[in-house]
Amino acid sequence: MTINPDEIVLFQWDWFKINSTIAYTWLVIFLLTFGSWLVTRRLSSEGKLSRWQNLLEVLITGIKSQIREVSRQDPGPYLPFVGTLFIFIAVSNVLAIVPGYVPPTSSLSTTAALAICVFIAVPVFGIASQGVLNYLRQYIQPTFFMLPFNLIGELSRTLALAVRLYGNMMSGTIIVAILLTITPLIFPVIMQALGLLTGLIQAYIFAILAMVYIASASRAREEIEKKGEK
Amino acid sequence: MIIDWYTIIFQIINFMILVFLLRRFLYGPVIRAMDEREQKIVQREEDAEVKKKEAEQESQAYRRKKEELEEQEEEILEQAQTAAEKEKRELLDQARQEVDETRLRWHEAFEREKETFVSELRRRIGHQACAVARRCLQDLADARLEEMTWELFLKKLSHLPDRDRSELEKALEKSGNKLTLRTAFETTSARGEELKEILEQLVPELDGEINLATVADENLICGLELDAGGYRVAWNMDSYLEGVEEQVLKELEQKNPLEDKDSGEEGVSGDEQA
Repeated sequence: MTINPDEIVLFQWDWFKINSTIAYTWLVIFLLTFGSWLVTRRLSSEGKLSRWQNLLEVLITGIKSQIREVSRQDPGPYLPFVGTLFIFIAVSNVLAIVPGYVPPTSSLSTTAALAICVFIAVPVFGIASQGVLNYLRQYIQPTFFMLPFNLIGELSRTLALAVRLYGNMMSGTIIVAILLTITPLIFPVIMQALGLLTGLIQAYIFAILAMVYIASASRAREEIEKKGEK
Repeated sequence: MIIDWYTIIFQIINFMILVFLLRRFLYGPVIRAMDEREQKIVQREEDAEVKKKEAEQESQAYRRKKEELEEQEEEILEQAQTAAEKEKRELLDQARQEVDETRLRWHEAFEREKETFVSELRRRIGHQACAVARRCLQDLADARLEEMTWELFLKKLSHLPDRDRSELEKALEKSGNKLTLRTAFETTSARGEELKEILEQLVPELDGEINLATVADENLICGLELDAGGYRVAWNMDSYLEGVEEQVLKELEQKNPLEDKDSGEEGVSGDEQA
């Protein structure tokens, strides 16, 4: 039994290899894209809505309202990034109920990749909304001596993001595996159900934390402006 | 090695691709559809608002029109009632007037009839009275009265005023010296001679050629009448009585102003005759 899906190599050609993490990620990407395409090619803007369109609209409206609550800003620019984080992690986790499927989020490489994405996105959104100088200035707030601590905080929270998701998902898979050897049949089902719940909660937490980081970076300017007004 | 940098980079790229794909196939279309729907709902609400306002305006206009129509109806009804009232009053007035006129006409006719009857009665009474008087005088007439009458007549003739004499002359010339003597009594030749003599004295140009015709007339109550072709000289009771009768009728009819005129004319002609 392998703990790391990265080590399960399905295809290798010289340095190019396809491990199960990448493969299952592709599967999730395909499912999401194809499903979205199926539903959105026949969207109706009036009259009766199809069930799937309704589902997607509820999902997107929910994400948007969450973003708005956290950032107190227009959710428009953040929706694709934060929404995709949530949907990808949620679907990856939920599919764990399928036998033989290994969620890509149970690989630290995947969670690290997502955390790096957030790590990059925070300054990108921050600079886009308030400019380079204003963004960089917040690292020396309240004093210049806080710069190292700010940088450490930036790095550590990214690491925390990656490890939190990875730990939860990996543990879910591993717990099911262990329990299967001890108490077969009924008990693992309960754990799997719990695993679905945990997977959704982790997806929510990851997306919300990412949004909080981005918002804190882009909201700094507003706070400065408010101070200036005072 | 838990962290495989190769996989990390691959996953980052994968995630980027997923963001792009979902943006292209999920968020874009769905958000667009939702916005469109929202816009359409807003549009529909605005349309509904506009239509509602229009409907309200229209209903108000209709209500106003209805009220106007009702007012007109009332007015027309009132006019009709007034006209009917007026018509009724006019008809009543007309009927009353007609009744009044009929009554008046009837009254007038009655009055006329009454007056006619009264005047007729009066005339008859007058005639009767005169007839009684005439009868009495006829009965009283005798030879002595005749003699007195004759003398009176001759006297009157001989004392004819000049105007009458010339008229007698003219009348005699016209009739060719013909004279008619009407008398209620028989005339003797001596009296004829006497008359001729007086006439010759009156009209010397006659040369005695006088044709005297004598006619007996009972109606001339004890009197005489000389007729010379239109000119008359007379003395008799009858002419008096006629005068009296006329006077009596005049007196009797004096109360009726309409008949006064006629009786007056009669009186004038009677005077001339006398």
